[in-house]
Amino acid sequence: MEAKQSHTSSFRDPSGCVFTDENIVKRTINPIYFKQYNHLKDSGFFDKLFKNGLLIKHTELSSSSKEIIIQPEQISFITYPYEWSFNQYKESALLTLKLQKYCLENNLSLKDASAFNVTFHKGKAVFIDTLSFDFYLENSPWRAYKQFITHFFGPLLLAHFHGSEVLKLMSTFIDGIPVKTVASMLPFKTKLNPFLYTNIHLLAKFEDKHNEDYKGKTKSSSLSKKGQLNIIESLYDYIKKLELEEQSEWGEYYSKTNYSNDAFNLKSNIINNWIAKLKTKTIIDIGGNDGTFVRRITTKLEQALVCDIDNNAVDYNYKLIKQNKEQFIIPFVLDVLNPSAAIGFNNKERFSFLKRIKDYNPDVTLALAVIHHMSLSGNITFSMSAEFFASFSQYLIIEFPKRGDSWVERLLDSKGEFKEHFDFYNTDDFEKEYIKYFDLIEKQDIEGSKRVMYFFKTKH
Amino acid sequence: MYFLYFDPGLGAMIIQAVIAAVAGVVLFSKNLMYKIKLFLGIVKEDSNDLFDDIEVDDSDIENK
Repeated sequence: MEAKQSHTSSFRDPSGCVFTDENIVKRTINPIYFKQYNHLKDSGFFDKLFKNGLLIKHTELSSSSKEIIIQPEQISFITYPYEWSFNQYKESALLTLKLQKYCLENNLSLKDASAFNVTFHKGKAVFIDTLSFDFYLENSPWRAYKQFITHFFGPLLLAHFHGSEVLKLMSTFIDGIPVKTVASMLPFKTKLNPFLYTNIHLLAKFEDKHNEDYKGKTKSSSLSKKGQLNIIESLYDYIKKLELEEQSEWGEYYSKTNYSNDAFNLKSNIINNWIAKLKTKTIIDIGGNDGTFVRRITTKLEQALVCDIDNNAVDYNYKLIKQNKEQFIIPFVLDVLNPSAAIGFNNKERFSFLKRIKDYNPDVTLALAVIHHMSLSGNITFSMSAEFFASFSQYLIIEFPKRGDSWVERLLDSKGEFKEHFDFYNTDDFEKEYIKYFDLIEKQDIEGSKRVMYFFKTKH
Repeated sequence: MYFLYFDPGLGAMIIQAVIAAVAGVVLFSKNLMYKIKLFLGIVKEDSNDLFDDIEVDDSDIENK
């Protein structure tokens, strides 16, 4: 088997490509990009970006006349734009604009502005495409401008007007939401705003017009550097102030649950005990809301992935991370009933959630107050959910809300006459099915609530 | 030379001059309003934003 494998998502840019060498991600740089690379290195531009935390760090491994190989700092879990909360998306957009402005000041320019060039690492957005930098050509417009609009500004504007769920559209539009589509989905009042009119509606019109009489010739057009800076800065100001119109319902969550303070603390203590026994380093909290339970873990974790279906909860978690300057949590949006699929050419450009989490292989999976949603709202059988949880980490800590729990009762009542179909929802059936995939290490009732905690280890 | 591995959009390249002109006016008037408001004490300089401003501060890097 060949140890060196080129990365299936790295084929668009001829400047170089990403490959994995015995599970280490590396990057080759082709001679076509040597001039740019050497300039970026020798001028100290790369170093400045590293020191400011704007670009992922790398070290040069080898250099010949045929190729240069660099090794970037490894990122253990990549999240994609359609898995970001609104403010994560905003930070990525602002990072891209900040980079472009900094580039211009150094007579460079970003040659693309794809949202997939950014991911979250150590508590903040970081640019991961080291070969996106090129020389600035005097009086040339920004080639990546339209890409910025379709990848960042369009989706953010749509989220502002229609809610953060819109950001999931990026999983369909891998090259960004077309300007025309964005324009058609915006309310009429946006046409009256000169800034939005020019950046979206006029752009859509022009693109449409030139699509038809485009004969394949690249006409040159010019724009002063000052002009380009105006565009970048005005976009930055606008995006920085952009908020969601919908009100977050999140804040109330923990007061809405049926936990007394004691039960809440008890649950947290049980988790802590079990996690301490394993010397856990990495964890994924599925349905982790705003990260409350991960933050209550006393064992020092290297990394915690915290995902939730609710964009607002993830957003709140993200804001906490920023405020507390935490580096170990990666928050992202995930619907456990429909995890992110593999997309792009050959379905291999962007990896599915399952592929990424299996590669990551966290020590422990936390699934707190999730199973009743999966079973009763999603009609997922215990056997199916057990198989799912057993597929990516060795240990599972799962909370089972029993019949009689107010949430469970509410979900069951909503089933009306089909309520009997869910008679299987009880601890006996749950244990019977989970035992097929796991060994039960321990189980404990959470006193003062109708909930049980289970601690499982996979059989394989 | 740029590698044309994706279509920058011909319309998008041409229209940037217009967008830049509008952006210039917007920035100018916002800055002016901000300065007036700051002078009149209607707004205060805000320092606890979630996000930084656009400037990359490299003065302290160069001194290292």
